[in-house]
Amino acid sequence: MTNSLRHALLLALLLIIVGSGIFLTKIVKLQYPLAPDEKATIWDFEIYLEFDGRDDPARLAVYLPAGDVERTFPQEQFFNGPFGLSLVTEPETRNRRAVWTYRYPSNRKVLRYTAKTIGETASTPLPTSFTRNDPPPPAEEPDPVKRQAFIVWSADMRRRSADDASFADLTLSEIFRTGSGNQQSADEISVLMNDRSTTLTRLELARETFHSQGIPARIVNGVYLTEGRRRVDLQHWLEYHINGEDLRFFPNGEPSRFFTIWYGDNQLVEASGIYELDTQLTLKSQQNAAIDIARNTKGPLRAFNKFFSFNDLPLTTQLVYKVLVTIPVGITILVFLRQFIGIKTVGTFMPVLIGIAFRETALLNGLLLFSMLVALGLAIRFYLERLQMLLVPRLAVVLISIIIMMAGITLIMSDSDQSIGLSISLFPMVILAMTIERMSITWEESSPGEAIKQGIGSMIVASLTYLAMSNAQVEYLMYQFPELLFVLMGLCVLMGRYTGLRLSELWRFRQLATS
Amino acid sequence: MFKTISALRRNGVMGINERNVRYVNALNPRRLFYLVDDKFETKRVAAEADIPTPELYGVIRNARDMKKLDELLDHKDGFVLKPAQGSQGKGIIVIDKPLKGGWRLANGRRITIDALKFQINNILSGMYSLGGQPDKALIEYRVKFDDVFSEISFKGVPDIRVIVLRGIPVFSMLRLPTAESDGKANLHRGGVGVGVDVATGKTQMAMQHDTMIDIHPDTANPIGNLQVPFWEDILSMSARSYDVIGLGYIGVDIVLDKDRGPLLLELNARPGISIQIANRIGMRPVLEAAMKKSAEQLTWQERVAYAKTLSKKAVDISKNGGDPAEPAAS
Repeated sequence: MTNSLRHALLLALLLIIVGSGIFLTKIVKLQYPLAPDEKATIWDFEIYLEFDGRDDPARLAVYLPAGDVERTFPQEQFFNGPFGLSLVTEPETRNRRAVWTYRYPSNRKVLRYTAKTIGETASTPLPTSFTRNDPPPPAEEPDPVKRQAFIVWSADMRRRSADDASFADLTLSEIFRTGSGNQQSADEISVLMNDRSTTLTRLELARETFHSQGIPARIVNGVYLTEGRRRVDLQHWLEYHINGEDLRFFPNGEPSRFFTIWYGDNQLVEASGIYELDTQLTLKSQQNAAIDIARNTKGPLRAFNKFFSFNDLPLTTQLVYKVLVTIPVGITILVFLRQFIGIKTVGTFMPVLIGIAFRETALLNGLLLFSMLVALGLAIRFYLERLQMLLVPRLAVVLISIIIMMAGITLIMSDSDQSIGLSISLFPMVILAMTIERMSITWEESSPGEAIKQGIGSMIVASLTYLAMSNAQVEYLMYQFPELLFVLMGLCVLMGRYTGLRLSELWRFRQLATS
Repeated sequence: MFKTISALRRNGVMGINERNVRYVNALNPRRLFYLVDDKFETKRVAAEADIPTPELYGVIRNARDMKKLDELLDHKDGFVLKPAQGSQGKGIIVIDKPLKGGWRLANGRRITIDALKFQINNILSGMYSLGGQPDKALIEYRVKFDDVFSEISFKGVPDIRVIVLRGIPVFSMLRLPTAESDGKANLHRGGVGVGVDVATGKTQMAMQHDTMIDIHPDTANPIGNLQVPFWEDILSMSARSYDVIGLGYIGVDIVLDKDRGPLLLELNARPGISIQIANRIGMRPVLEAAMKKSAEQLTWQERVAYAKTLSKKAVDISKNGGDPAEPAAS
């Protein structure tokens, strides 16, 4: 392998890795959709508090979802009424609380908090601060009977399990009776639960048992996200961490999407000085363009939305780039067709320029117009040949006659089919004039057959590049993921070092293919 | 298709991509391209190495030079008008002899002084030059081609193309004009390419339009086993051209003149690969063998001697190649 080849391969590899790395980060981490009109569900989450104030100093501390990456809140809103609001974060648990206060509330009062979220799934990773910490020792149980029961119970679990994972599975199945029914420790459990067997108390027992074994675990409070609009109840589940794996246990069956509000066993609302509190949690699902949701994602990868996207540019500039970023796709196709297939074209990048021109006319009209104008232009060019003119003036005459022909076609077409007539207006006449000039030289110097062959080759390449460049999917991908330009560049570098035979050469050298 | 690919690979057939990447891009520094792209420069450099070229009658660089035109064109034996930077024989006019009010072209047609001036203007405006930049028009000696190939050419001037890799003449081919090619020995335009054994200078198989043939399409005479005269001179000219041109992979085009012997016509920095069909040989084994030779330390005589041993090797490849009449399995 020569030095230059190694260098080229390295460069290509680097470009492709960088480009697809950014691309994959956006897809996987920021959940950019791959299709332009993909929808995603976003939920409006609301905490609604209604209560009576009786001129006592009022204080309501309410847990709010922590605003980190996975549960984004593009729009978080507080409806405070006359209340003062302060936000308190507990760094240890990442819990966040809104504290509403008012000195002398009277009558019925309403406080609201709303947020938009895309929720979490079972694969959403847990915060690292949690997994890194060792669990605290189990709380000292004052009741000696319970203490004894806990020791017996946890020792029993430990004896009947092989490792942390089986310990966790066994504990959970014993506590929640999901096993086959032979709970050997049923007595201890009922003692430990104090006969208050709610989901929360069971989860607390599970947490304590996990901690006794040194497994990080915590209780999570949140809601399950469901379709439609409804009041929802708080749900509780357990998060624990074994052997570097984040695990969740949902006592009421695993939801497809859920939404964490806070950790620990505190109540959602802690209130003083108010009466007849009514707390409501509401969810409303709505369909949004997935790309908009992804683009508004917060968190450490936010920079990707800014540096690898055109969305913050002025609208007119955005429109320009929408077209511009598709051109490299056309060029890459052209390179492929030339280096691997061996299609002959008029000029090097002219077919791509013609392909861009087809955007104005659509494919069939474009092909029709183009071949019509080139044919007429060639006829004029051959006539001018007899006048023995110089090159540049001759090109000018060809160009002017093309515009005259275009005007003629527009006038004729405007009666019957307006779309062709109007779309022609931006057809690139300079490209046309150059194509005609080059074709006529090939026509004379090589052969008419060669000129027509190159003309047809150009049309094929132009059509293919047009189809690729105008494809909505391609346009979307290139516009939302401009880092793919690096990938295309890498591909072109690779193709630039391709030394194998072209498809056309298989035919050309077929007589040498004897064995 | 994969059968064809593997057969072509086994026979060492080189494609355009490989030629460009491995040889043209790797061995031909762009700053030296002007030496081959501009035939005026080629003549100048060839003279330094005592390589004979067709005598230059005059150069027309601009409209003012046109005034001297009558004087420059006054040659009873005819002349050739060509763009200095033309490629693939484009824009070349071969004048046979003066006629009243004009000249007779080599192909028998008549051309007026006006048409000729128009052609010169086209050349000056860059119509035939690469990239369309302004060009010079060269008026030079019209080669009186050696009769040796008259049986197998139709009008025009046959020429000999030698592929020279770092001064080693690795492949050669005789190019014959046909009726179809309008008297030009250009393969693109329907000329016939005849493989020539580098070691002996004897013609072998032939091809037209990338298809093998064994008789000339117009004269119907057999093409193979003719001795190219002045063969040692041709090899020597090709090998020596490397010392003054400095490009590592060139096609040297040589014509045989009845009176003056072999003349260097032009050089090509991107010689075509059809020569493989004319020789029925894949180029790759020979080129790769020649690349391993440290040609810079050899004299041109040593390079020619080495080339002849290479050619033996190449012939062996051809014999392994099988029956030429058999169409390829695809």
